[in-house]
Amino acid sequence: MRTFEYLKPASVNKALALLDLYGDQAKLIAGGTDVMVQWKKRIISPQVLISLRNLAELSFIKFGGGLEIGAGTTHRALELSPEIREHFPVIHDAVSNLGSVQVRNSGTIGGNICNAAPSADTAPPLLVLDTNVRIASTKGERTVAIRDFFRGPSRTVLQTGELVTLFSIPAPLPRTGMAYSKHTRRKAMDLPIVGVAVLLSFEEDLKTCRKAAIALGVAAPTPMRAANAEAFLAGKPVDKTTLLEAGKIASEEASPRTTIRGSAWYRKEIIRVLVRRTGLICMERAKGAARS
Amino acid sequence: MKCNVINTPVHNVDGIAKVTGRATYTFDVTVPGMLFGKILRSPHPHARIKNIDASAALALNGVRAVVTGKDTLGIKQGIWRRYKELCDEQILPLEKVRYIGEPVAAVAADTEEIAEQALDLIEVDYEVLPAVYDPMEAIKKEAPEIHEGFERNINVTRHIEWGDVDDAFDEADYIREDWFRCSGQAHACMETRCAVASYTADGKLAVWTSTQSAYYHQVLLADVLGLKESDVRVIAKYVGGGFGGKFELDAAQFCSSVLSMKLCKPVKIVFTREEDFIASKRRTPMYYYVRTGVKKDGTFLAREARVFTDGGAYTGMGATALYLTGFFHSFPYKWRGYRHDGFRVYTNTLPSTSMRGFGTPHATYCSELQIDLIAKELGLDRIEIRRKNGHTPNYEVPGQATIASCGLEQCLDEIEKWIKSRGELPPNRGIGISSYGFMSGGIFNRFDTPYSFSSAVVTINYDGKVDLHVGAQDIGQGSNTTLAIICAEDLGVRLEDIRVHSGDTAECPPDLGAWGSRQTLMAGNAVKMAAGEAKRQLLEFAAAQMSPNIVYDLDIKDRWVHLAGRPERGLDYFEVVKKALRGKDGQRIMGRGYYTPHRKGMISPAYSYGVQALEIDVDPETGKIKLLNCVTAHDCGQPINPLGLTGQLEGAISMAAGYGFLEDIPIEDGMVMNPNLVDYKLIRAPDMPETEVIEIETYEPEGPFGAKEAGEGLTNPTAAALATAVLDAVGVPIKELPITPEKVLNALKEKKAQ
Ligand SMILES: Cc1cc2nc3c(=O)[nH]c(=O)nc-3n(C[C@H](O)[C@H](O)[C@H](O)COP(=O)(O)OP(=O)(O)OC[C@H]3O[C@@H](n4cnc5c(N)ncnc54)[C@H](O)[C@@H]3O)c2cc1C
Repeated sequence: MRTFEYLKPASVNKALALLDLYGDQAKLIAGGTDVMVQWKKRIISPQVLISLRNLAELSFIKFGGGLEIGAGTTHRALELSPEIREHFPVIHDAVSNLGSVQVRNSGTIGGNICNAAPSADTAPPLLVLDTNVRIASTKGERTVAIRDFFRGPSRTVLQTGELVTLFSIPAPLPRTGMAYSKHTRRKAMDLPIVGVAVLLSFEEDLKTCRKAAIALGVAAPTPMRAANAEAFLAGKPVDKTTLLEAGKIASEEASPRTTIRGSAWYRKEIIRVLVRRTGLICMERAKGAARS
Repeated sequence: MKCNVINTPVHNVDGIAKVTGRATYTFDVTVPGMLFGKILRSPHPHARIKNIDASAALALNGVRAVVTGKDTLGIKQGIWRRYKELCDEQILPLEKVRYIGEPVAAVAADTEEIAEQALDLIEVDYEVLPAVYDPMEAIKKEAPEIHEGFERNINVTRHIEWGDVDDAFDEADYIREDWFRCSGQAHACMETRCAVASYTADGKLAVWTSTQSAYYHQVLLADVLGLKESDVRVIAKYVGGGFGGKFELDAAQFCSSVLSMKLCKPVKIVFTREEDFIASKRRTPMYYYVRTGVKKDGTFLAREARVFTDGGAYTGMGATALYLTGFFHSFPYKWRGYRHDGFRVYTNTLPSTSMRGFGTPHATYCSELQIDLIAKELGLDRIEIRRKNGHTPNYEVPGQATIASCGLEQCLDEIEKWIKSRGELPPNRGIGISSYGFMSGGIFNRFDTPYSFSSAVVTINYDGKVDLHVGAQDIGQGSNTTLAIICAEDLGVRLEDIRVHSGDTAECPPDLGAWGSRQTLMAGNAVKMAAGEAKRQLLEFAAAQMSPNIVYDLDIKDRWVHLAGRPERGLDYFEVVKKALRGKDGQRIMGRGYYTPHRKGMISPAYSYGVQALEIDVDPETGKIKLLNCVTAHDCGQPINPLGLTGQLEGAISMAAGYGFLEDIPIEDGMVMNPNLVDYKLIRAPDMPETEVIEIETYEPEGPFGAKEAGEGLTNPTAAALATAVLDAVGVPIKELPITPEKVLNALKEKKAQ
């Protein structure tokens, strides 16, 4: 019969020890909202599930200019955090419209990133925030920039025996606006046809772009940064026209696929539109932040 | 008419059982000693079965039996029992599989997991055959033959014609022709197909199942299993949705029965969501060609249409789909000449069947969108063109049907008023409209029942409480409540005095079940007759007791037996019942009623009508549609339960809007590409528009207390209203369902390029 053993270690160290013991026969499970679906569909059949559920060590939001988020933090906890809402609204945008409340109560940000779906809603926000991913194993710790973390659909740099402990986000520059837009067929409970995160930091004139970061979901085999579009915007005055151009460039950088969820041409079209719209939200937010 | 119970909003009589989790759905049924069944399904869209080797599966610990077509009588079955050539489906086929997901074997085991594991151990040797997936491909000469002896894979044709069509076209000032494509839709019931079959050593079979017609399944099972009808008992106390997909025999019912008969043990089979998507049946996809001729002033003259329906692998309800789409494509308008040719085509995809509205949402979408295109072309007002050509009371559709009540004109008036009240609309906003009509009680006796279409028994007990036995099936639509209301009203008691018994062929009289919008009218009439008969017996006794002047009529209202003209002179209902019972030597008071339509045309004894307006926003950069307001003026005759009516209306809009812009069953190489609730996009609450219903009260002489259908016809207009709304908002006609953002954006780009 198709079964698995379910192990619930009491600490990260114990989890790492178990990972060492079982190697490739083990699968980590956090909220299980991806793992259990994959198990039922027989995509994965691990002999052991090592649960990270409710490990306090992995569940925290530490704010102090920058931000540290434990990998086991649920989407719901992020959604309800006033600091994130105020200072990192791009994360709030993503987690508040991910799945349903039930899914958000269970699903974690670590699971979302480590599952490495091209459609992972928290990936574009973490990408524009230049997040560092802290990885632990019994051999020690290492840190990987999130842009280097994804290796392909469902593939990451994680090695056997490793798990993600936290996401570390540097403090944004002053006068920064950031937002995430998710294009879906339905208003709720839907995966993005494309997801676009934009972060814009301005000079003191609140017009000239000091730094632009644009990340795209479902635009390539992995969540990606649109480097050409970013380079185009840097140093330029940001307005509808430049954002429109940035959208065009980003859309050219993207290499989406045609699937039943959306055609490649349509995805490119939407990237073009959403980069502009999301950029405009960033401008508003940067101005709002500068006022307060 | 002054009513005491009718037209008062009430919650469903089974509401408490449902919200407290006490209602026993088939899913909840457990029988001592019960085994679990699983079905092995074909991975090929078209293949010959050369050999099935189940020995490894049978050797697995906990596996009790494996059955294949060879363990069955091999009967080709179908719901059109009158016409054997339309019965073409062996649920466990002996020779060929014709779609991916078709059952080939079934296992019974001690647990579901063991049964599932056993499936992997069954070896099937297939010879893969060429397959075809689209009706327009399947009708080509060189297409593979799916069933023997059907040229171009066409298995049913249907011609409907009245008036002189060619003559009428000759007179037309303007003729327009369009092709449309209508998608399929999954019923997506909350309760997937499921059954618990229990065959006992005395030769009797009991089957708990999720069905729209316990009686149909009793008979269908008896036929394919070689049992006497009365030795089969079908029980369906609570059903988690049907929507037209649960009155044909399904693999859960059949395979659990075959296994149970083999083992003399109860066997339960519950479809997974994926099985329900890939291997139950679906709304029939259609290709539609429509040609319409009108006068300059908008008078409709002639219409000619051809439809090619994607029947999938087996016929099922397909013949009915052709006829209904053909007939309702004329609705609700008058045509001097009308001609409709339907072709049902086999393909190597999951079979198509009936679904709420049955052929009519398609027919309405094509018709209404084309009418708006014609109105636009000729510069005519779109309400006016509908008013000018709409059905009116007592209209006769030549050779097909006679309309008694019809509130279409009042519906158009109300919708016109509402649209005006919206004033000037901002850019990219539009309001679509669609008129529609539907049958109120399908007459078709495809099933060849020898029984009345509906029957009811009303029994009054010593304490005055009433047992109402009906064969009508409550599938969540609230028919038990509706019928209890009709019974209480007629008998003159309160709703809480009635206990309804339904969903058990061993307890309840036969009834064709919940389809064709028939239960309110047909079962309602049967209940009314039964209640009337019981009441007559009571009144005979009361008259004897009260000895009024012989010219007086007696009546009962709100538990008060009284002289009709002088309500103050009366007796307590409960007292009368007690005495009457003693007077009848202890016999309970019993009334029987039935309904079978006679001389009511080809389709239905009555028709519901309505007009719907749908206001939407279109995002011209992304093609995304937002539903804002949906207002429906609806003529369902006398409403029985206004709360139930609202529920049906909102449910219908959600289903029909979903059909219009979200739901689809894409098939690639015979494989359903979205067999899950992530990619099969049912509409959800936040996507629903604000809804409002404007009740147009008419009185339908053929309906109980003047009532007509209210749950199914409402599914017909929304896809059409959405299409006409997009046309109104951004000026592009989308001639293919569902109206996805991609299609809208594409059409806008093409328009810009012109
Ligand atoms: C109904 C439904 C709706 C959904 N909607 C969305 C949506 O709108 N947007 C979206 O992006 N996703 C959606 N998802 C997917 C899913 O909920 C998210 O990806 C979620 O964040 C996964 O988190 P989890 O904790 O449940 O992960 P799990 O399922 O527990 O794990 C996912 C993967 O991550 C690995 N993993 C988990 N934690 C760690 C760790 N600390 N270190 C290393 N590896 C780890 C697991 O081994 C597994 O491979 C939906 C899922 C469902 C069932």
